Formats: sequence, C-alpha cells, structure tokens
Amino acid sequence: MTDFDAIDALLAGAKPEVPLPPVEERRALREHLNLSRAQVAQVLGVSPSTVGGWESGRDPGGEVREKYAYFLDGARARRQAQAAEEAAITVQDAGSPAEAEDVETASVAPVGDGGGDGDADEVEVLTSPQPCVLCGRPARHQVAGFPQHLDPADCGRTAATPPARAAEPEGGRPDIEPDPEPERPASRKPTPESVAVRPVGRRMQAASDTPDLIGQAVAAALAQHQGDVDTATAALVKRAIPDAMALLDATRRGGRYDVVAHPWIPDILRKQSARGADQIWEARPKWFRPQLPPGNHEVTALDINGAYLSALKTHLPIGQLEHSTGPGHDRRRAGVHLITPPGWEHEDVLPNPIGNRDEPGPLWVTEPTLRLLLRLSGPKYGLCDPPEIHESFTSGATEGLLEKFRVALKDARDRAIVDGDEVTLEYVKAMYSKFVSTMGESNYNRELYRPDWMHLIRSQAFANLWMKAYKAYDEGLTVVRAMGTDELHVIGDWRGVFAEGRGVTEVKVKDTYTVGSEENQER
Amino acid sequence: MPERNNEFGKYGARGIRGHEAVARRLDALAGFVATPVTARRGLLARLHYLTRSEHARQAARDAGLTVTDDTLKKWLRGRRNPSKRNLERIETAYRTVRRHNVARYLLARLNREGRGTRVEFHPLNQSQVDRPRQRAVEYRTLNVRRWDRIVEAWAEDDERALDDAWVSEAVVDLGSQWGQYEYVTNIGFAA
Repeated sequence: MTDFDAIDALLAGAKPEVPLPPVEERRALREHLNLSRAQVAQVLGVSPSTVGGWESGRDPGGEVREKYAYFLDGARARRQAQAAEEAAITVQDAGSPAEAEDVETASVAPVGDGGGDGDADEVEVLTSPQPCVLCGRPARHQVAGFPQHLDPADCGRTAATPPARAAEPEGGRPDIEPDPEPERPASRKPTPESVAVRPVGRRMQAASDTPDLIGQAVAAALAQHQGDVDTATAALVKRAIPDAMALLDATRRGGRYDVVAHPWIPDILRKQSARGADQIWEARPKWFRPQLPPGNHEVTALDINGAYLSALKTHLPIGQLEHSTGPGHDRRRAGVHLITPPGWEHEDVLPNPIGNRDEPGPLWVTEPTLRLLLRLSGPKYGLCDPPEIHESFTSGATEGLLEKFRVALKDARDRAIVDGDEVTLEYVKAMYSKFVSTMGESNYNRELYRPDWMHLIRSQAFANLWMKAYKAYDEGLTVVRAMGTDELHVIGDWRGVFAEGRGVTEVKVKDTYTVGSEENQER
Repeated sequence: MPERNNEFGKYGARGIRGHEAVARRLDALAGFVATPVTARRGLLARLHYLTRSEHARQAARDAGLTVTDDTLKKWLRGRRNPSKRNLERIETAYRTVRRHNVARYLLARLNREGRGTRVEFHPLNQSQVDRPRQRAVEYRTLNVRRWDRIVEAWAEDDERALDDAWVSEAVVDLGSQWGQYEYVTNIGFAA
C-alpha cells in the first residue's frame, strides 16, 4: 500500500501557491541589492534568462517559486532596513561631528556587528583605512565588505584628487582625455578625473598604456611631411589598407575568435569573371516615391554619417560557410541564403527592403537583408509575409568580431571631429571604407579574402538605411527617395526625428530643394 | 610516413591534398592571364608575354614552345592560327615561364626576411561521414618560415617534390596529429 502512502504524502505536501510581489517590483528589489540575474539564478538553480522572464511577466511554479518568494521577501526586508538606517545616519551626521561618530561606532563594532542588531548592512569600522570603492580615498568604514565613506559629502570632496591620477604618466596625450562636449548628453562620459581603462588579456590596463595606432600613424605622417596637411593625408590614405589590417590584428588580440581570413568559398560567392559579379544580391536601395501630394514641397536630402563604419556591427560568420537546406533560420548563424522574397505592397510610400529587383524568383541574399525581412514580417511591423528560405551557406556568427575595431575607428573619428583634425578624419574614413571594399577577393588586400563579410557589411549598411527610412515614415515624414548607402530624401520637419551633426548616430544635410506642380509654383 | 592516409574517402570524407591546395593558392597569387588561350585575346596576351624580349623567347623555347620566329610572327599578326596541340604548348610554356618569373618575388614575400607567413589549414569535410566515424578536426593556423623548397617545387611544376616539401616544411609542424591535415578543404595564406 505504499502507493497510497505516497498519495497521502503528496496530498499533505500540496499547498496553495506562495504569493509573489508584482512583476515590476521583482526587478527593482534585486537591483536594489546590486545583485545580477546570474547571481540570483545560481542560488535558485535556474538560468539567468529564466530570472529575466520572471521579472518581465512570467511566474515560477513549484518549489522554485517558494525559493524565489523567500529571496524577494528577504530582499524587501533588507531594503526597508537599509532605508531606515540611512535615515538614522543622516540624522546622526547632522547632529554630531564625524570624529565622534567614528569613535562611537568603533566601540561597538569589534564585538561583532553581526549580533543581529537589525542592521541589514554590516557597517564595520576598519582599523587601518582602505581605499574607498567609490572615490579611491582612504575610508574608515566598510559596508558589506566594501570600504567606503559613509558620508557622501566626504566621498565627493576627496574625489578631486584620486591617487590613481598620480600613477598616470606625465604629460598624458590629450587624445585620451575626455573631450569637453557640452552639446551631447554625457551618460557614459567619464568624469575629468577618472582614468580610462580597458581589458587586456585577463587584466585591466590604463587606456594610455594601450597603443593608439591611429594617433601614432597620424603623428608620424605629420612629422615626416613637416606638418604639410595635404601630403600627410595623401600618404596616410595610401597606406590605409595595411594599417586597417594591423589595427584589426591589434583589436583581435586576446579575442575569443580568430579572424579566419582564407576559408573555402562557395561558388555563389566567387566572381564569374575578373570584372563580373558574384550571385549575391546586396539589396542596395534605389527607390523614389512615384507620386507626391499636390503642392510645393521642400525636400531635404539627408546624409547618414559613416554608414559603413556603423555597418561593421553586424552578425558575421566566423568560420567556413557550411551548406544547409530547409526553411528554418538559426539566429546563431549567419551567412547567405537563397530565398523567395515576399511581395511588397508599400512601394508607393516605402522602399522595398530587398531593393529594386526586376527579376522575379529566388535570389541569394545576405544575413542582414534576411533578418530585416524576418523582422518586418513579424508581429511588431507586419509589413510583409515571411521570406521563404530554400538553402543557406552559414557559419556560427558573432556581432563582436569587428566591434573593437569599429569602436577604435569611431572613437578616433569622434575625437577628430571635436578637434577639427581633418587628417585623422580622412585617414579613418579611408581605413574603414577601403577595409570593407577590399576585404573580398581584391588584390589590394590579400590578407583577408572574405567576400561574404564584404556583402554582409554592405547589406547591413543598406538595412540600416532602410530602417532610417522607416523611422522617418513612422514619425510622419514623407520619404521621397532612398538611394545608395547613405542618402535619404524627406519632406517635413526631420529635425524632430533625426539629430543633426557629424557623429555616426546623426545625419547631415546634403541638399535642400523644392519640388512641386507647375500651377502651384505660379500661384 | 605512418601518418599518411591510405584509403582517403573510404567513409565519405572529402578534401584535396594539402599540396594541391597550396599550388592552387600560389597560382592564384601568381595571377595568370584570365582569358582562356582559345580566345584570341587570351592567345595574344600569352604570346606577347612569351615574346617580349630575347630572354623571354629563350625561356619559352626551353619551356617547350619550339616553333620558328616566323610562325610566332604569323600567329601574332593573325594570319595563321595555332593548332590545337600548339595551343596546349603555348599554355604550358606560358604557365611555366610565368611561374619562373614570379617565383623569386613570391618567395621573398612569403619568407618576409625570415618572419614567414601565417597559413590557415581548413580541415577536410566530414559532413558525409557516419556520425560514429567523424573525428574532431579543428581549424589550425601555423606560421611557415621557409618557403624555398615549396616555391621551387611549385615553379618546377613537380607535384611529388611539392608534396614532400609541403609536408616536411609545413604540415609536420602541426604536431603529432599532422596526418589529419594531409587532406584539407583549403589552405589559405596571403603574399
């Protein structure tokens, strides 16, 4: 009769589900304790994405639900205790000088603050001052194991002279200093006193210790040509391709993936003849709006800054492309796909995402185009049917392969714009544009034979332009023309949609002109 | 050598010999005339290359193009067209002379004053092999410093010497498992 015993035990064990706090509070509770999803997930024995799911609408069940409820209860209790304690500290600070407070706490703390004095944060007094985790100055208290100043004013005042500053080499180059840019919101901009660091291998290193290849090359060229800007620029542009490859090598050092430069290439990616093209359709937009509403219109031709530079961030296949057939799309892989594109019914207001293709039937498109089509066919946009995938040449993909390379170029470009340094600007432009155009089967760059990457990056630029056109359309502008890599003609108040400037997230005005019907112009 | 494969492809693996891939890559780097010799344009390009100087004529003769200067002149003017066999001779002579001419410079670029060239080994294709018989063969890279014997054998179009040179100068440096890289899908390097 053990079966019945088991049933009895089960019945006895069954109890109503533990209530959980509302969804929006769960995340706030966890973040208040500075815990990552991974940390919470580890103690609960689930994956971090599961915790993310719980924080965005899903509910756990069973045993793990009880654990999660216990965690949230504990977190809430700690938050309340902490709030109470902070209130107490501010009152205390206002009442007594800091020295007196130190002594007072010191007399209590060595006995053991964990005595359960209701103090959720273990504030301890340190016998020897240790650097504060916030400002770096010696602090005499530690909270939950982190030395820090209890008084925020103390922390802020001392932050003016961090000791790390002294370790920096004298006469640090001005280009690593953060540039004063009042017009831009400085969310991630370091304070003037902070030292920029970046990971090198398993350690961190000051940014000033990592060689700035672009800055060095520009300085050397200017020195060699006695400051003659034109000849220095010409010399730099001439060596842009090998320099870009050297920069790529430098940025890939210690990276997870090797740059595979000479993989086997399927025939569809090979040029049919020396001057011919291969079979890949890059979906270059070449679209104009067939009809405009009556009246005169002021059209603005906008230029997207650094379109190919931004397009370096795309899902690139790492290794050799492998063939597969079938309708599925694997988000972890990238490559080229033979698809039958869906019909496009918005030709009179928006460009076709596969460009203006005259021939019907299946065609080889690249990953960015396919992802754009899949996105547009999804529930959020619902603009077309999903494309039909017939076969694919793909490899495991990552977006991070050229990311450091892109960021290095972008930073140099931003600095050059702020400093008005035309030499660096031209040099950086030549580096990324020639890098993209010669990374295929070009004889000008034999270090890298990746025609697939070349097509993917170009297509990404076109997909980015398409999304910009869609954004303009979505915000109520009239899109008149989308052409090439970076040109968008719109009617309407585009300044409310796009920021104007020279940064890669901004647009610049190429031209403004008026278009309209004859009788309207006469009136 | 015991690492050599005996019955390659018995279980469905696909690939080409490493030295064939190297010869293809070196040919691609040498940059032959792309138009086929059967087209007038391709024929003229080859004949011009082989008759540019007295030295070039002598090299063409040594490479097996033993026709009189008069015939060459007629071919060049288009008054007469070479026979099928002579077209083959022109093609082989052109490739031989071109390889010899390029070899010096290619060798210097590959050796790079002793620094060598990074070579990628793309492993053989096992997609048609039964799952239990598949082996983990990784993509490998290697810096090959001495290209002299390899380029020499390629210039001489001596397949056996090229195989020997490739295996003994480069592939064995991959370590004890070098036999897995006797057959590859591709060998990649730049020059």
